[in-house]
Amino acid sequence: MAYAGSAAVRTALLLVVWWALTEGDPGAAGFGLGAAVLVALVSLRFFPPAAPHPRLAATLAFAGYFLLRSMVAGVDVARRLLSPRLPLRPGYLTYTTALAEGRPRWLLANALSLLPGTLSVTLRGDELELHCLDTSLPVHEDVARAEHWIARMFAG
Amino acid sequence: MSDTLLLVLQALLLVTGCLFFAVGTLGLFRLPDTLTRIHALTKADNLGLGLIVMGLLPAVAGPATAAKILLIWLVALAASATAAHLVGRALRAMEDGDDGSGP
Amino acid sequence: MTLLDAVATILLVLLLLGLVRIWRGPAPADRMLASQLFGTTGVALLLVLAESQGQPALRDVALVLALLAVLATVAFVTRVLRIARADSAGEHPDV
Repeated sequence: MAYAGSAAVRTALLLVVWWALTEGDPGAAGFGLGAAVLVALVSLRFFPPAAPHPRLAATLAFAGYFLLRSMVAGVDVARRLLSPRLPLRPGYLTYTTALAEGRPRWLLANALSLLPGTLSVTLRGDELELHCLDTSLPVHEDVARAEHWIARMFAG
Repeated sequence: MSDTLLLVLQALLLVTGCLFFAVGTLGLFRLPDTLTRIHALTKADNLGLGLIVMGLLPAVAGPATAAKILLIWLVALAASATAAHLVGRALRAMEDGDDGSGP
Repeated sequence: MTLLDAVATILLVLLLLGLVRIWRGPAPADRMLASQLFGTTGVALLLVLAESQGQPALRDVALVLALLAVLATVAFVTRVLRIARADSAGEHPDV
């Protein structure tokens, strides 16, 4: 049952992607439907439905948080670069994440590279090594907040 | 009237986007090492790309084209985050390879 | 000259400036940033051109460029890592 549900969701998502890629060309719709069904089935073979399903509401909440913070990140970098003193205090910081292995950790590592002041360098087990632009900032708290949103996405 | 307002907003978004791209390029020149340059490139350029995408959206032909531009933006975002992480990891590995102990 | 053309010109100039900077090096890792530059500035440039030139196909180019940027980085990183490993093993002490 979960299998059929995943197949339907994936087909629908792929159809949206197809619709966008062909810029809504109705002539390509039939081919797109066939391709979407086929790709969804093949993807289930390689990536079976994973246990912690991302929750829609929490995913949107994380997306909102991410968009807002990545804007702050861009402004922060711009502010530092345009200041004549070039205020930087680069350094490494290791963060131990409580997130489950796989997608949640991977998502955190990738998201952090676009959030203010952090760049994920290595991810070994639950140890995430970050490069920080300014180590005097409360980086730890920032990372914990991003982690909190991701944890809610994958809460079972 | 609202058309003019939309055009002004669009122009504002596009110009601000360019400014952030300029900051990203400035970072390539001003910053002291490769890791900090990656910070500048990923963060400033992604905001620039986001602003330009937002600026383009009102001008496109239809919802499907708008969706396509948003899709490209998402791919570019994921690509940039992944590339930043990979280059960072390679640099770290090279540091470790150089002196055998790491900082 | 419309606003979109002006934006495209600015982006092109920024892309060229970035390329000059990256071309001068000095470290190989700096050159890896070129793929990042194309992944964002190049994509933005193509999206703007698609609109201003009325060439929807350029959007496909932008999509492919974004995807290729990752692959280029993966290839480059793999190569650099192999060189670094060989260095630390003392195979190429002068590289």
